[in-house]
Amino acid sequence: MSPLKEVVKAEEGEIYDIELEEDLLRANEELAAKNRELLKKHNVMAIDVMGSIGSGKTTLIEKLVRALKKKYRIAVFKGDLTTTIDAELIERHGVEAVPINTGKECHLDANLVRKALQKINLEDINLLFIENVGNLICPADFPLGSEKRIVVISVTEGPYMVVKHPFIFMNADVVVINKKDLAQAMGVDIEKLRADAKEINPNIKVAVTNGRTGEGVKEVIDALGL
Amino acid sequence: MGIHPEMHEFSIVKQIVKSILLVAERYNTKKVAEVNLVIGKLTFLNPLRVRFFYNLLTEDTIIKGSKLFIEEKRGVVKCPSCGYEGDIMYEEDPVHHIRIPTLHCPRCGGVVEVIGGRECTIKSIKVVA
Repeated sequence: MSPLKEVVKAEEGEIYDIELEEDLLRANEELAAKNRELLKKHNVMAIDVMGSIGSGKTTLIEKLVRALKKKYRIAVFKGDLTTTIDAELIERHGVEAVPINTGKECHLDANLVRKALQKINLEDINLLFIENVGNLICPADFPLGSEKRIVVISVTEGPYMVVKHPFIFMNADVVVINKKDLAQAMGVDIEKLRADAKEINPNIKVAVTNGRTGEGVKEVIDALGL
Repeated sequence: MGIHPEMHEFSIVKQIVKSILLVAERYNTKKVAEVNLVIGKLTFLNPLRVRFFYNLLTEDTIIKGSKLFIEEKRGVVKCPSCGYEGDIMYEEDPVHHIRIPTLHCPRCGGVVEVIGGRECTIKSIKVVA
């Protein structure tokens, strides 16, 4: 909060102005920057995995862990408590999984991530996946301090998913279009989704996957530069 | 509270109320008369819902009954390639018939950066002495 201006004694009942200029989203950004600094200091690449409920975030993280665990020392922050795949599955691959209790919140914020970072030894890892809450609306405005941000959507959500949520794509580095095997059944044109994402954010990288089989996971790894 | 599409503004309004109460306490004031918010158009925040939760969450506080003014700030972009600075562009999608924002630079076709329209600021408040 900005320092309080000096208060001139006012008459009882008199109305006076207080300038605040307090940006609540900025406050989170500043915490995110601190997280980023800490991660960089320990040479940990953190990836914020966003996406709608049921889009396949967790399955993707699992596939990425499986593919990368020989090359990287990995940990996962699990922010989505509605997922059916629990921490055990992740730990089956020998990676540490830290659940983050978001309580009543519908998104992760930098403060929650800050606290979770205190629970692990950053010297032990060099790659961190942060699974965000299933939500395409507010995570865009709450950066966590990650180096890259992925958004996972699936064809089963219909053809309007990208155009209906432009801000999350503006704030992401990679979009993963999942469940490609169901595109025809859904009557969804994947190339249109790709074009929609590129229209909003020309810099965004696009990967098309079948999370269940693992098809396209290599595309995601390349898009992330891992 | 589950994850409901219409509840996203709830937690940020909670923070707004908390901030105002903190300030009001520091000024030892008994009543907040007016609150001025600035909300960027490139945020997830819907001013109508912000207002709804504001009314709800100030109910049992000294902020109850205050006038809430919400100024919406337009999205502003800057192009690192050609220096273009201006409002964010919207494209009319021919297939979906919907306006979508784009980070394409209207002047050089490069990619712009967002420099404004992403805030949620408590600009000022008016209190009763």
